[in-house]
Amino acid sequence: MSANYEPNIVAFLCNWCSYAGADLAGTSRVQYPSNVQIIRVMCTGRVNPLYVVNALQQGADGVLVSGCHPGDCHYMEGNYFARRRLGMLKDLLEFAGVDPRRFHMSWVSASEGHKWKEVVEKTVEDAREAGPFEGFRRRQIDW
Amino acid sequence: MDLDKLRETAAEVAGRDDVKYLIGWKKGSYGYRIAPAFVEDVEAAAELIFSPLCTANLATYLTLVEKLPLPRGQEPDDRKVALMVKGCDSRAVAQLLAEKGIHRDEVIVIGCPCPGMVDPDLLAEKYPETEEPAELKWSDDGFVIVRDGEETAVPRDELLAEKCRLCRYPNPVVSDIMLDDPVETWEPAEDEGVTEIEEKEVDGRWAYWQEQFSNCIRCYSCRNVCPLCYCQDCILDRLNPTWVNRSVNFSENTAFNIARAFHLAGRCIECGECERVCPANIPLGKLNRKLAREIRDKYGFEPGLEPEGEPFQASYKPDDPEDFIL
Repeated sequence: MSANYEPNIVAFLCNWCSYAGADLAGTSRVQYPSNVQIIRVMCTGRVNPLYVVNALQQGADGVLVSGCHPGDCHYMEGNYFARRRLGMLKDLLEFAGVDPRRFHMSWVSASEGHKWKEVVEKTVEDAREAGPFEGFRRRQIDW
Repeated sequence: MDLDKLRETAAEVAGRDDVKYLIGWKKGSYGYRIAPAFVEDVEAAAELIFSPLCTANLATYLTLVEKLPLPRGQEPDDRKVALMVKGCDSRAVAQLLAEKGIHRDEVIVIGCPCPGMVDPDLLAEKYPETEEPAELKWSDDGFVIVRDGEETAVPRDELLAEKCRLCRYPNPVVSDIMLDDPVETWEPAEDEGVTEIEEKEVDGRWAYWQEQFSNCIRCYSCRNVCPLCYCQDCILDRLNPTWVNRSVNFSENTAFNIARAFHLAGRCIECGECERVCPANIPLGKLNRKLAREIRDKYGFEPGLEPEGEPFQASYKPDDPEDFIL
């Protein structure tokens, strides 16, 4: 691992809570690591587990999925489905040998700018500890 | 099981006017081979068998049928399909019913209580295959190989397939006709294959799967044989968007295998067909069984038991575990 390694994090945020929460963190001038690339989706229930796999394949060292707290979903139940799906994906990735520190899920509401900061810090910290994820990159010929 | 009764029942069912054909097992052309039999008329029912070699899960043929658009003025053939099932196959049928992949009035399920199948690879390794078709039978404490009228008794533990050692439902869970009395269930063995990998460190697991997945030739046999892989538009065939690239390298192979296992999460009924057909001998069943185990432990859900129930991934409970959430 090189000394100046900075992890790449891809974050899928739901439009109604977490994206607004991240927005709030921005407008309230909360400082958080800039390693996160945010992708806005309408709901966490629309995050296909293959997005996570694809992100890891295409150069992400960590993936974060964040949505509304249970019961607060704009679409009533999207985050409940996401919780089941991504919980299973986490187990499966762990079993397949992907470091569990590379994939996180969180609930961040629109008013939780500070929680968003903590979540990002934790995700980046974990990805930093886990190191660059070279083994899973696309178009590797030397296996 | 009484083969005469099986053939009699099959002939009776296949002879019905509202039945298109009956799917069962018949003797293959050589050695220990078994072939699927599509019985359309009463006479053909005489070649049906049910033996410890009938590992194949015939439920896959329910959804494998090509449904071509009908020419104008032609009525659809809405006759039923009769299907012979073991315990595991019947769970596939139940899961298909729960997902509304098939309708209950489209199928006639003929249940065969299953005392356990042999592992074909293990059998061929210990008792080499000959050109002559051989037969297998169940005895009280194992299997009997019948070749040229010569009988060889084999203890059960020596040849029992892995999926059968772990089996919890040897008796069909859905059936219209039962061919025999239910067999006595046995204590399922501890799933050591999964536990062994679980106990490894993360890097060890990655190395293990790297070794396995780099053998994958992406023939998609596992998908084709799976009774529950029946999407008309499979993500593996789709080019726009390309979910999984077609190049055969470790990264894509891993993505493919994760995708395949994930698409069976909460649906896999552990019939072990993917593992049996895999030409690269990748232990695919371990991925499936790991997910099934997690889902059983954490969510208390088992697929393929309730034909009327809700599919796992299409339902939720407000109190699902969320200890992994930050």
